[in-house]
Amino acid sequence: MQLNNYYRQLTPVSCCISFCFVIMLSLSSNVFASATSAEADVAAKQNSPLWQAIEKRGANQSVYFHAWGGDAQINNYIQWVGDRVEALYNIDLNHVKLTDTAEAVSRVLAEKSANNHNNGQVDLVWINGANFDSMAKNGLLAPNWAGQLPNFVLTNPTNNPAMTRDFGVPTQGMEAPWGQAALTFYFDSLKVKNVPETLPELLAWTKQNPGRFTYPKPPEFLGMSFLKYALIILNESQPTDVKEQLYLPATAQSQALLLPKLWSFLDELHPNLWHSGKHFVSNGLALRRLMADTELQVSFTFSAAEIPSAISRYDLPDTTRTYRMKDGSLSNIHFVAIPYNSAHIDSAKLVANFLLSPEAQSKKQETAIWGDNSVLDLSQLTPSQQSLFEVAEKQHISATIINIDNTRLLSELHPSWVKVITDQWLIRYGVQ
Amino acid sequence: MQSLKINNLVLQQDNKTLLSINETVDGGEVLTIMGPSGSGKSTFLNWLVGMLPEGFQASGALYLNDQDISDMASHLRHIGLLYQDPLLFPHLSVEGNIAFAMPKGDKKERRQTITEALKQVGLEGMGQRSPNSLSGGQQARVALLRVLLSQPKAILLDEPFSKLDSQLRQEIRELVFEQIKLYNIPAIMVTHDESDAVAAKGKVITLASVPA
Amino acid sequence: MIVANTLFTRLVRNSPYLLIALLVVPVAGGLLGVLLPAFSWLPALNETNFNLSGFSQLFSTPGIDKMVWLSFSTSLISTLLAFLITILILASYFNSPWLHRIQRLLGPILVIPHAAAAIAIGFLITPSGFLTRLFSPWLSGWDTPPDWLFPHDPMGISIIIGLTVKELPFLLLIALGVLAQPEIGKKLRAQHKVALSLGYCPMTAFFKVVLPNLYGYMRLPLLAVLAYSSASVEMPLILGPNTPPTLAVAIMQWFHDVDLSLRIKASAGAILQIGITVILLLTWKSLEVAIKKGSAAILVNGEREFGGMIIQRFTHLLTSIILSIIGLALVAMVLWSFAGFWSFPDLFPQQLVGQHWQTAIMQMQTPLWNTLLIAITSTFIAIALTLFALEAEQQNTKTISSISGFIIYLPLLIPSIAFLFGLVWVFEQVGSQHAYINVILAHLLFVLPYVFLSLANSYRLLDPRFGSVAASLGASPSKIFWQLKLPLLLGPILIAAALGLAISFSQYLPTLLAGAGRINTITTEAVTLANGASRRTSAVYALVQMLLPALFFLLAWAIPKCLYRARA
Repeated sequence: MQLNNYYRQLTPVSCCISFCFVIMLSLSSNVFASATSAEADVAAKQNSPLWQAIEKRGANQSVYFHAWGGDAQINNYIQWVGDRVEALYNIDLNHVKLTDTAEAVSRVLAEKSANNHNNGQVDLVWINGANFDSMAKNGLLAPNWAGQLPNFVLTNPTNNPAMTRDFGVPTQGMEAPWGQAALTFYFDSLKVKNVPETLPELLAWTKQNPGRFTYPKPPEFLGMSFLKYALIILNESQPTDVKEQLYLPATAQSQALLLPKLWSFLDELHPNLWHSGKHFVSNGLALRRLMADTELQVSFTFSAAEIPSAISRYDLPDTTRTYRMKDGSLSNIHFVAIPYNSAHIDSAKLVANFLLSPEAQSKKQETAIWGDNSVLDLSQLTPSQQSLFEVAEKQHISATIINIDNTRLLSELHPSWVKVITDQWLIRYGVQ
Repeated sequence: MQSLKINNLVLQQDNKTLLSINETVDGGEVLTIMGPSGSGKSTFLNWLVGMLPEGFQASGALYLNDQDISDMASHLRHIGLLYQDPLLFPHLSVEGNIAFAMPKGDKKERRQTITEALKQVGLEGMGQRSPNSLSGGQQARVALLRVLLSQPKAILLDEPFSKLDSQLRQEIRELVFEQIKLYNIPAIMVTHDESDAVAAKGKVITLASVPA
Repeated sequence: MIVANTLFTRLVRNSPYLLIALLVVPVAGGLLGVLLPAFSWLPALNETNFNLSGFSQLFSTPGIDKMVWLSFSTSLISTLLAFLITILILASYFNSPWLHRIQRLLGPILVIPHAAAAIAIGFLITPSGFLTRLFSPWLSGWDTPPDWLFPHDPMGISIIIGLTVKELPFLLLIALGVLAQPEIGKKLRAQHKVALSLGYCPMTAFFKVVLPNLYGYMRLPLLAVLAYSSASVEMPLILGPNTPPTLAVAIMQWFHDVDLSLRIKASAGAILQIGITVILLLTWKSLEVAIKKGSAAILVNGEREFGGMIIQRFTHLLTSIILSIIGLALVAMVLWSFAGFWSFPDLFPQQLVGQHWQTAIMQMQTPLWNTLLIAITSTFIAIALTLFALEAEQQNTKTISSISGFIIYLPLLIPSIAFLFGLVWVFEQVGSQHAYINVILAHLLFVLPYVFLSLANSYRLLDPRFGSVAASLGASPSKIFWQLKLPLLLGPILIAAALGLAISFSQYLPTLLAGAGRINTITTEAVTLANGASRRTSAVYALVQMLLPALFFLLAWAIPKCLYRARA
C-alpha cells in the first residue's frame, strides 16, 4: 500500500527522477532476486501441509514461556509478543519469569523423573550454552523442529552455521535462534579518565584503582563470559592447534595447556577487585547497581541497550558511556527450545516462529525496546521488511558503542569448559 | 523503736479526694483498714509500697523508723507484702522461696534459719518440695515465712486470709499476728472481713465509699 | 459431654484429622522426596542404585565446613542475640509504659517479610548506603564509597544483624502475648511485685522471678525461630557472603544448577541441613540446661542488685540503636523509591520522582492479584480449619494431644528447604498440575501453624459457661458456634487472619517451588529484583511488601472498633 502511494506521488515528477528510479531498481534487483527466493521458501513452508497442521493444532492454546525475568525491558517485550500471538493465533502466552534458566531445566527433569512425558509445564524456554548442553544430553528437548519453522529460512542457516550451533554444539533442530549479543563494557566518564581498552590495561587499571571492578561469581553467565574472554585473550600467543582446543570438549591435556594463564591472571587481578575479591556478586544486574552506587567504575554487560534505558530511569549516571574492548568481544547467540514433554508443542512452535519474524526481530532490535541484535540475515528480507530495521530514534550518547567497528567478535568456547572453569575457580577462589 | 508513720496523707484521683489518713503504727501493732470496694484501699497500699498508678496524686509523707521514705524506690523501702494469694515462685523449692527473701549471708547459716523457721510453722522436712505440691494452708505459711525472713521494717497485709476456708483462716491468722508481734514489726492490714479486724486487736479505720 | 450428631458436629469432629493431615502429609512426603535422591535414587537420571555418592560429593565440596559453620553460627548467634535483647527490653521496661510503646514501634517489623527486611538493611549498611552517607564526607572524608565488606562479610555479621532485627519483634510479641494472658501475666506481675517488696531491684527481680517462668512459654517459639533461621534463604541470599554461602543457599543453588547430577548432592545437603538444625536445637537445649544448673544457686543467694542501672542504661542505648537502625532503613528505602539520580556521598537524592512507583504499579498488577488470591484463600482455609479443630477440642472437652500440638509446629521446626524440593516431587507424583492449588497447599503449611497458635489461646480462654447457658436455652451446637462464639471472638479471629495473610505474603521458597515459578507474587518479584539492577524498583517492591500486611493488620484492628462503636 505504502509503495503504491509512493508511485502515485512520483508520476508527475521529472524524467530525471524516474531515470534514477529505474537505476535504483536495477541495482537492487540482485537483492530482490535472493529475497524473493527466501520469501518463496517461507511461503512454501507456510503453505505446506505440515505447517498448516501445526497452525491448526497449535492455535487457541496456552504457552508457558520460561524466560529469565530480571529485566523490565525484556519482560515488556515478551508481553508485546504475547499480545501479538494472541492476535495471530489466539495463543495465551504466559511469561514464567525465571531468576535462573536452570530452574526450568530442573523442572523438566523433575517431570521426567515423575514419568510425566506428555503434560510438562514448560512449553518454551529461553536458553543457550551449558543449559542447552545439559538438557540436550539428558534428552529433555524436543528434536528436529526448528527446520519446520517457516521464518527459520530468514536466518540463512545454510550460509550461517552459527544459527545451528550453540556454543559449538550442533543444535540438531532442538532450538531456534532468537538473538545475539556481545560483551560490552561501560564506565562513568566523570570518574574514569583513562579507560582500560584491553585485558592487560584492565589489570593495570585495577592496580591503580583498587576495588572498582569485579565480575559475577561463576557459573553465573556474565561472570563466566568474562572468564572466557580473559581465557581467549590470554592464550592468544599460543600455537593455533592449542588455541583451537578451546572450541573442543575440554580434556585434561587441553586444560593443562590453556588454564594456567587464566589462574595466574586472576591471582594478580583478585586482590584489587571490589571487596578485595573476597565476595563476588551473584549476577550481572548487581554489577549495574554497584555502578549506580559508584562502588564500581568500570563494568560490563551482554545487553548494551540496557545502559541508555537505565540512565533514563536514573539507575545509572548520565555520564555513563559504553565501549567494546579493543582486543575482542565475546559474542554468542541465544535460542528458544521446546522441552520434549511440553503440553503445547505446536503452540510453542508458532510462538518460536513469530519470534523469528521480521516484525518481532526488528522490534527487539530497537534500543528503546530491548536492543538485542537480530539473528535474521537482512539480505534474505524484502525491502519493506528491511526498512523495519532502520533506526530513526534519537538516542542517548551511551547507545553509541565506542570501538564497535574497531574490534572483532570472539566465539564462544565449547560448553564443557564452563564446568571445568567453574569447578577449578570454586576450589581456588570459592572459599575465602 | 520500730514505727511506720503516715503523715497527713491525702490521696486524690482526678482532683477528687479518695481518702486522707494521719496515723502512726508501732512495732508489733496491726492497723486495720476497712471499707467497701472502690474506697481506695488498694490505692493506699500501692502508695505505701511506692507503686502509685498513673492518674492518682498523693500529698503527705511516709516515715519508716523516722526516715522519710516517700520518694524512695519501692524495692529499697523494706516493706514486706502479704497477699491473699501466696504467690510463691514455682521455679524455686519451698526452701528456695524463703532463701530468695533472706539477706545475703553464709549459706549454712541461712539454711539452718530456714529449717528452724519451717519447723516453727509445722512444715518440717518440706524444704525441698515444689510449692505447687503444697496445700493452700501450707502455701500461706511459706508465704508468711518468706516475708518475715526478709527482715522487713514493716508489713502490709492485703486481704491476706480471704482465700482460706474458715478453720484454716483462723489458724493462719493467729500465726501471722503472733509472728508480727514476735518480730516486733509494724503492720497495716486491708480487709473487708470484720473478724480479721477483731483478731488484729489494733486500731480500725473504716473508709467511706467515694461518691461518684 | 454429649454432642448431637449433626452435619456440623461431624464436620467439627473430623477437622483436627484434616488439619493434622494437611501438615503431616506434605512434610513427610517432601522429606521422602529428598531422602530417596540423597541416597542416589533418581530414576530421571538413570540412578536407581542406593549408595552414598551424594554424601561423598557433598563432603568433598570445597568450603563445605565453612558453609555448615556459617549456617550454624549465624542462626545460633542471631537467635541468642534476639532473645537476649528481648529479655533486656522486657527487664528494663517491665512495669513501664515504654514496653508497649517499643512493641508498637517494633511491631511493623514483625509483619515485614524477611526479604523486604533484608533489602532495607542492605540499603543501610552497604558501602554506599545511608549510614556512610550520613558521615560522609564531612567526618569520614570519603567521596567515593569505602570498599568495606558489609554486607556479604565472610563471618556472616550482616546476616546476624538482619536476622536479629527481624526475630526480635517476633520474640517480643510472643513474650508480651504470654504476659497479656490474664492468668499468667497477672501472676507474673504480682510475683515481680513481691520480689520488689522483698528488696529486689526491678531488673534483678525480673531475672530471678519472671524470666524463669516466662521462658517456659517462649521455648517452642524460640526453637522455631532457631530452626527457621538455620535454613532460611532470603537473608543469606541478600545479605550473606557467597565464598562460600550458607548451606541452605548452596543447597538451593545446587538444586537449580545446570548440572543435573548435582540434584543428588543437593538432596544429601538437605539431609545435612536437617542434621544441622537438629544439632542447633540440641545445642540450645543443652545451653538451657547448663544455664539452669549454673544459675540455681544464684537465684536464691539473696543478692538483690546485679548492676541493674548499668544494664538499664545499656538497654536504653541498645533499644535506641535498634530503633534508629529500623528508622533509618525505612527512611532510606522510601527515599530510594522516589529517588532520581542519587550519587555518593549525597544524603538526599538530587531529585525526587514518581516514575518508579508508576512503572512498578503498572507491572505489579498480576503479582499483586496472585499474592492476594493465594493469601486470602490459604488464610481462609486455615482460619476455618483452626476454628473447627478448636471447637472439636471443646466438644470433646479435652485439649489436642501433645503430639498433635507438636505436629502443628512441625513445618516451623523442619527446615523448609529440606522438604519443599521433595514436595515438588510429590506434586509431580500425584499429578497435581494446578499451580495455584499447589502454592496454596504449600502456603498452608506455614499459615496454619501461625493461625492456630494465634487463635488457640483466645478460643480456649472463652468462658465455657457462655456455651452452657446458650445450650440450656435450646441453642444447637452449630448455632452456638456461629452466632455466639464467632462474634465473641471477632477480634482474635481478625488478628489471626491478618497474621495468616502476612505469613502468606512473605513466603518466597514455597511460592517459587510449588508454583513451578509460574506464579509471581510481590515477594518472589522482590527477591528477584533485590539481586537485580535497580535499587529504586527494589525499594518500591519492598515497601509494597511492608504496606500490604500493615494494611490488613490495620483493618483487623479497626473493624471491631467500628462495629462496637456502631452498636454503642
